[in-house]
Amino acid sequence: MRLRSYLLGLCCALSASALMASVQPVAFDLDGKPVNDLAAPGAHVVVLVFAAIDCPISNRYIPTIEHLRTEWKSKGVRVWWVFPNPNDTASTVKKHDEEFSMATPVLLDTHQNLVHLAHAGVTPEAAVFSVHNGQLHEIYHGRIDNRYRAFGVERPQPTTHELADAIEAALTEHAAPKPEANPVGCAIVPLGEK
Amino acid sequence: MSAGSDQPMIRSLLSLLLFAVIPTAALAKPPKNTTATETKNLTWSHDIAPILYGHCTTCHHPGGAGPFSLLTYADAKRRASQIVEVTQSHFMPPWLPEPGYGDFADNRRLSNGDVAKLKQWFQAGMPQGDLSEAPTAPAYDAKWQLGKPDLVLKQGEPFTLPAGGTDVFRNFVFPYPLKTSHYIRAMEIRPGAPQVVHHANILIDRMESFREQHPDEWRAGVPGMEILLDSGNTFDPDSHFLFWKPDTPAIIEPQGMPWRLDPGNDLILNTHLKPSGKSETIDSEIGLYFTDIPPDKQPMLLQLDADDKLDIPAGDNHFVVEDSLRLPVDVEVLGIYPHAHYLGKDMQGWAILPDGRKEWLIWIRDWDIDRQSVYRYKQPLELPRGTVLHMKYLYDNSASNPRNPHDPPIRVREGNRSEDEMAHMWLQVLLVHTKPGDPDPRLQLEEAWMRDRLTRTPNDRVSLYNLGAALAGQGKYKEAAAIYEQDSKLHPNDARVLTAFGAALDGEGNWQQARALLQQAASATEASRAQHCDAAFDLADLDARRSQANAEQEFREELASCPDDAEGHASLGSLLLAGGQTQEAESELQRSLAINANNLDAQLALADAQLSAGDATHAMRLLQTAIQAHPSSADAHTQLARAYGISGDLNNAETELNRAAVLKPDDASIHSALSQVMAQNGNLDGAITEQQQALKLFAQDADGWNNLGVLEARKGDSASARKDFERALAIQPDHAQARANLAHLAAQ
Repeated sequence: MRLRSYLLGLCCALSASALMASVQPVAFDLDGKPVNDLAAPGAHVVVLVFAAIDCPISNRYIPTIEHLRTEWKSKGVRVWWVFPNPNDTASTVKKHDEEFSMATPVLLDTHQNLVHLAHAGVTPEAAVFSVHNGQLHEIYHGRIDNRYRAFGVERPQPTTHELADAIEAALTEHAAPKPEANPVGCAIVPLGEK
Repeated sequence: MSAGSDQPMIRSLLSLLLFAVIPTAALAKPPKNTTATETKNLTWSHDIAPILYGHCTTCHHPGGAGPFSLLTYADAKRRASQIVEVTQSHFMPPWLPEPGYGDFADNRRLSNGDVAKLKQWFQAGMPQGDLSEAPTAPAYDAKWQLGKPDLVLKQGEPFTLPAGGTDVFRNFVFPYPLKTSHYIRAMEIRPGAPQVVHHANILIDRMESFREQHPDEWRAGVPGMEILLDSGNTFDPDSHFLFWKPDTPAIIEPQGMPWRLDPGNDLILNTHLKPSGKSETIDSEIGLYFTDIPPDKQPMLLQLDADDKLDIPAGDNHFVVEDSLRLPVDVEVLGIYPHAHYLGKDMQGWAILPDGRKEWLIWIRDWDIDRQSVYRYKQPLELPRGTVLHMKYLYDNSASNPRNPHDPPIRVREGNRSEDEMAHMWLQVLLVHTKPGDPDPRLQLEEAWMRDRLTRTPNDRVSLYNLGAALAGQGKYKEAAAIYEQDSKLHPNDARVLTAFGAALDGEGNWQQARALLQQAASATEASRAQHCDAAFDLADLDARRSQANAEQEFREELASCPDDAEGHASLGSLLLAGGQTQEAESELQRSLAINANNLDAQLALADAQLSAGDATHAMRLLQTAIQAHPSSADAHTQLARAYGISGDLNNAETELNRAAVLKPDDASIHSALSQVMAQNGNLDGAITEQQQALKLFAQDADGWNNLGVLEARKGDSASARKDFERALAIQPDHAQARANLAHLAAQ
């Protein structure tokens, strides 16, 4: 699906200020190029995982997400890392990606559009959308799994895997189970608070 | 529910997006409705920076163990909502003990006032205030916090921690490379990747036993949460908590309490590593800071434990174990280290004093192995003899314990793996009110501790062995032999037990059976190299003390298979010296000192050889070095006095003998020698007192009575002198000098 066309389609009915906002790209890649198309051709599911370069819990989930992307790639699941914090610039995120050997594509959520799209509050937090006839339907947003229950309360390994279950649900067109608890992580830094 | 039923579609989400461009991230936005009176004066500069600098930035600085810095106003403002969340819950700063249950130094718990201030500042919109009011930010840029160490130990091989997965527990070995012993006043650990090393314990392996257990792996580190080390057959109990955590990279020992490293020792860095998301290289360094001042206090680590009671049913959320121990001696408790694994929940430690008073040692209501620590008391807790120490730990093995490593829960018992459990409460105690010359009081404590363990697990081999060693150390050889006999019946071919059993029988006077056991131990096929060396040495030593001709050959055989045994070379050297083979003796003694420059036997024997050859200068230098390393050796002080005496320095000779007498007050020969030197220094009264003391300790010394008579005659007390000479003759009728002195008195 092409997100941009929906933005334009919608904007016509809105005020001038909204129109200005609507022409902003949804996000940018690490080369500074606008990205409006979150679902590649053939993608059935889009996954956004919010992250921050200096959030230890978010960083600890990198291997999990990288593994998940590889596992689901052939089934039409498009996974994006989303960096929403104002201080996480293209150059710092690039360096971070190299350090952490991240192969999953990255979006800089410069205007925090995706934060609002997915109702994300912390890093790490995930959102899952199913793609139907070019439209995105939110299936899930919340924690990746139940490894963390609170700061300092951590399971040796997770026993429920909400994100994986939500992707499976999206692929099989079932409802994703609701997570039992909110995600645990670092608060996303509001715009203007570098 | 199918996709699209009650889930909002992208269109409506986008509408939200469009309207939400200006007011962003309401979640993390501070509310603005607080009253002015609550918050009007709170600014970062005046109120918040002092809190952060005092409690947070030791970890939260660039390059520190914390994931982000909190040094600047911008840092604090950016993290404000998270700071409020983690301080309200007391997750940060990490501190487990409940306030009011043990008064600890370096208490990191934030006061309620500071917690409230952080919240109020956040709610007030995080004002910066007047920067001129802000304290100077602490500097954390030094490579070593205590300056350049005297010695830096490096990890054998770097270890690569995987990016993800469960926590890793790994042990790295750091051999101590020097040929001389040193006292360590401080240690600093640089873990290489501070953000993934959660905490670390340093253990001292006196016997290279861990390397021997893992000959092929130790260089790259050995997995394992808990390890067991062989402490050898000398009573040298663990004495210091060498516990490292990110905010205290330098471990500084209190005055008078350095710890010791000897040639051949290893430090084992027992680490808890938390994968960070990227693979990390662990290439640690340990910086050691020496002191020449030997310890004047000997602490000891004492453990209460209830491991034997750990058999926790699956699903049980209230499993309680307890242990207690009555103290046989007066102690001061300096620190405490509670320890359990992932099921531990509530931990209580307390003492009931003889007068019935209850003194809390610690209470942790929500145990978290990730935040474990050693806690040191602000003031030592004085606990008199008869005090009973208690521990009571509660475990939660239900599915509702988020830290439970098993899903679903399974029955859990004690063990060394992280998924097993433990119930330990370690205390660092200092034995007080002891007198010089008393047997080491730590032996009494060790005995009580091991007897207590054996009441619960009668066949526990560590307890049996340690009890035997504690008894033998106190000279209770018969009891020690009985314990080792029990141990050797349970473990019939254990070379270590056979050796200890033999040594106890030897102490008891039963050298024949002792010898047979030592022979059996020395030829035991399953013995480790260290065990074989111990047995072979003890066998040769026993024969040497019995003046058996084969002792020399036995030492040579022992040294052929244990060429690095400094003690073996020293004993062979002493034996050769006694047999008049001075040249070869000196060469063996030098070999001993090349392996361990602080080997006391070799130092004393070599000094003896030098003094016999009239070389007081070299002997003096050697003995001064020996005293530096072994300040409590009365023999070294006595020998040094002899060296001073030979060189004509009688004042220093007297000083050294006085030191020896303090260290060994029951040694008649020291008092006697002191008496002689005092007399030569013109102090007749002192000389008489010392000689009288010597005779109190050894009344059958004819020479001593004669010497006392001479001193008293010189003092003009002929009557006393006469009695003394008569006493000498009563003991030894052919004592020519006493007879001549008596005749001389009669002629006056």
